Amino acid sequence: MTTTDHDVSRSAAGVGAAFLTRLESIFGEHGLIRQPEELLVYECDGYVIEKNVPDVVVFPESTEQVVKVVNLCAEFQVPFVPRGAGTSLAGGCLPVGGGVMISLTRMKRILEVNLRDRYAVVEPGVVNLHLTQHLKGTGYHYAPDPSSQGACTIGGNFATNSGGPHTLKYGVTVNHVLGAEVVLPDGSVVQLGGAVEDTPGYDLTGLFVGSEGTFGVCTRVTVRLTRDPAACRTLLAVFNSVREATQSISQIIGAGIVPAALEMMDQGIIEAVEAAFHFGFPLDAAAVLLIEVDGLEVAVDDEARQIIAICQAGGAREVRQANSPRERQLLWKCRKQAFGAIGRLSPSYCTQDGVVPRTKLPEIQEFITAVGQRHAIRIVNVFHAGDGNIHPILLFDERDSDQVRRVLEASEEILLKCIELGGSVTGEHGIGVEKISLMHRLFDAHDLDVMRSVRQAFNPGGLCSPMKMLPTAGACGMEHVMQKRPGRRAAL
Amino acid sequence: MPRVAEPIDEYLPTTPGELCRWMAENADGEQRPVYPVGGRTALRFGYPAAAPGITLSTAQLARVVDYPARDMTITVEAGIRMDDLAAVLKRERQRLAVDVAQAHRATLGGAIATNTSGPRRYGLGTLRDYVIGVSAVDALGRPFKAGGRVVKNVAGYDLCKALVGSLGTLGVITQATLKLRPAPEASALVWAAFDRLSLIDAALARLAVSSTRPMALELLLPGAATAIAAEAGLDLPAHRPVLCIGVEGAPHEVQWQIDELTSELAEFHPHDLVAVNALESLRLWFALTEYQVVSDEPLTFQASVRPSQAVEFAACADQLGISVQAHAGNGIVLGHLSDRATTLAAAHSLLAPLYDFVRRAHGVMTILNCPPDWAHGLPLFGDLSPAWELMRRLKSQLDPKNLLNPERFFGRTPRDA
Ligand SMILES: Cc1cc2nc3c(=O)[nH]c(=O)nc-3n(C[C@H](O)[C@H](O)[C@H](O)COP(=O)(O)OP(=O)(O)OC[C@H]3O[C@@H](n4cnc5c(N)ncnc54)[C@H](O)[C@@H]3O)c2cc1C
Repeated sequence: MTTTDHDVSRSAAGVGAAFLTRLESIFGEHGLIRQPEELLVYECDGYVIEKNVPDVVVFPESTEQVVKVVNLCAEFQVPFVPRGAGTSLAGGCLPVGGGVMISLTRMKRILEVNLRDRYAVVEPGVVNLHLTQHLKGTGYHYAPDPSSQGACTIGGNFATNSGGPHTLKYGVTVNHVLGAEVVLPDGSVVQLGGAVEDTPGYDLTGLFVGSEGTFGVCTRVTVRLTRDPAACRTLLAVFNSVREATQSISQIIGAGIVPAALEMMDQGIIEAVEAAFHFGFPLDAAAVLLIEVDGLEVAVDDEARQIIAICQAGGAREVRQANSPRERQLLWKCRKQAFGAIGRLSPSYCTQDGVVPRTKLPEIQEFITAVGQRHAIRIVNVFHAGDGNIHPILLFDERDSDQVRRVLEASEEILLKCIELGGSVTGEHGIGVEKISLMHRLFDAHDLDVMRSVRQAFNPGGLCSPMKMLPTAGACGMEHVMQKRPGRRAAL
Repeated sequence: MPRVAEPIDEYLPTTPGELCRWMAENADGEQRPVYPVGGRTALRFGYPAAAPGITLSTAQLARVVDYPARDMTITVEAGIRMDDLAAVLKRERQRLAVDVAQAHRATLGGAIATNTSGPRRYGLGTLRDYVIGVSAVDALGRPFKAGGRVVKNVAGYDLCKALVGSLGTLGVITQATLKLRPAPEASALVWAAFDRLSLIDAALARLAVSSTRPMALELLLPGAATAIAAEAGLDLPAHRPVLCIGVEGAPHEVQWQIDELTSELAEFHPHDLVAVNALESLRLWFALTEYQVVSDEPLTFQASVRPSQAVEFAACADQLGISVQAHAGNGIVLGHLSDRATTLAAAHSLLAPLYDFVRRAHGVMTILNCPPDWAHGLPLFGDLSPAWELMRRLKSQLDPKNLLNPERFFGRTPRDA
């Protein structure tokens, strides 16, 4: 990478005293922070390569407060950016050009759960896992389960259209959102969709999901609840080569089986996860597949048997089945907390997110290995294999600028290869600031023009999360932000 | 009576490129309104055209572009007929898991533009869950695309969602990539007739925690049940309200669910209970899908309420002498006004209690089909929420000259201020 064509300045002097006084009258001293040392926490999200502190962070507790801050920003022409838990891996929360960060973490009430009608209404700051826990024992759950679910918020999931291991069968966030209340950059509050289906007109809910905070602030989400599966079987297939593992994945999907989840971990990850959780993974295996089938008790054993047969025919040296709910839970814990274990391998790491058609998994994994060797960067892999959604994790030391450069080059090569194979540069983490420069590779000028027009309908002044998602091209109403704040780029 | 102009000329592009040039020329030159059509099965949905223009038919854009069956996706041009698409997929034992009526005529583009669905939406969702990539041409002739060919993708705004249900007002859909599902090995339906609607309500509440996982939960008033049984060519008890539950899967899985449903329903004392299996089940699925369109009656409506309110809505319709089919698990209720409603005024007074119902229930009622000269006398899309202002803005961003189906969504608006 990569000079992205946006501009990250070093904050400061962005907002005046009059603005701050008005802001304080809305939020009081406990609803706002502006001390430089406190602001530092908000200089970046899970994407640590670019940093910039906001001028001020506010913590609204109601839609009304969100409306007030958004109106104030409009009046003073100050940019603002919504933020959930800040686990974005694409820099979605980066306050480009400073301004106000609107943190939704205090809006965390579960407002309604209606099992008969299969929906829940939640505030955006509700942590994904809290909703799941709240529903425990009801026979229903909220299906999207990003690996970060212990921290990330439903509002953040909504804004990034998050996926997770079980979205293979159940679909991603947008497939589970019925409606939302949003505050648009002009301060108006609009209810999109809702608890009833097929509300007439355009599916603005669907369009808003995945807009990465660039259309407005989501203040309430109506989500679909899903029946718990009656039964499930969790398998661990152990392979001596990555190629055999990835080929088995295509075989399973190609055979018309849709597992609930199909995840892959390679040797590097297995090593780290084993050291952290002592599950008993074979350390000499080149790759393992974590496969879950669910459905009716009368059906799951058949499906599990078919999958075992396919894996064995594909060269698996062993296929284990989780024997107890505890064992299953531990397996999933290993998978979902794999990222946490990576700290054992390296001081810094960069998680990439790309997608290929599932039949191209063997090809992309071989390419990734070759790229790692060529750039002398160690790459380990843990990913949503059933969806073709790869997550190569590039290990490096942030203090070594040459390594940083090689990591960025290797990342870009991998993502371009995904495009070449008919895929995409992001399956779930988003474009944010990280991948803006790749948008040209995926979309042509017309596509991007139309996307800009769409953003114009929601966010005509461009104050809401400027410089994200779409490369700037000509006039987008954001020039003032750039002109006022020249200079660029925090730490590399 | 409002003027209703029939578009006169027809244009049939053979390639998307040709279509782009033509659209650009029109936008730069004559600026005639453009009315995209697919299989012409749903042209009465929305406000009628106010000015003559050009009908743009996608009939010749019907190719299969790419079908990597093992990736479970397909890319096709939008003019492909739903039946033809199904036949291609069937060879690989796959399907697009959305029920579309009049599939021998309806095109994929039309189904997407109208967001068509049917009974299986309860278990399988709607088109927004399956369209993962789309190519379209905007009113100015700019080709644009969004999404892609992989099942998971969050690069850029999801314009697929904007186009699903857009009624041809944002762009002419030329191509779509679909996420596919394996075709089920078997399916069956339980057809249970009850003495009272309240029993069906109780049964539906019970089914919310059923040990089975139905794909469809259909509620049929006797009129609808009779018509559907006749369409299916099956001799089914249809004089009482019917709860019809569909399941799919491997044969033993289907059988297990039928047995289980039969015993779960027993506590609500169905008057009759019939299991419809094998080929007969295919005919019944078909008839359940077609009901929303098979009618000579003047007006068809769709109410959206919460699933728990569907039975009450049906009871309200029943009292008015209107028969309905409800996708009860989704709260979607479809009905035809009987031919007692021969005038707009009569339709108005018949519908008034239903409009009141949906208002109280925070639901909405949409008119899917009515005589064109009634359209401006009825709130075709219900009470317009503040979100409509945003929809207008979206429309004018993508179609600044208001050329594409200019009136369909928003009614008559002065063109080209
Ligand atoms: C260890 C780890 C594992 C992860 N695993 C997954 C995974 O399996 N699947 C996956 O999809 N992602 C994953 N992620 C990425 C990330 O967790 C998700 O993108 C998540 O949805 C972000 O939620 P958040 O609350 O942290 O949002 P933030 O990071 O705070 O914000 C993300 C974006 O959403 C916007 N936003 C947040 N809240 C709102 C709101 N209320 N209204 C409008 N816009 C808003 C922000 O402006 C930003 O652009 C992972 C991240 C980490 C660190």
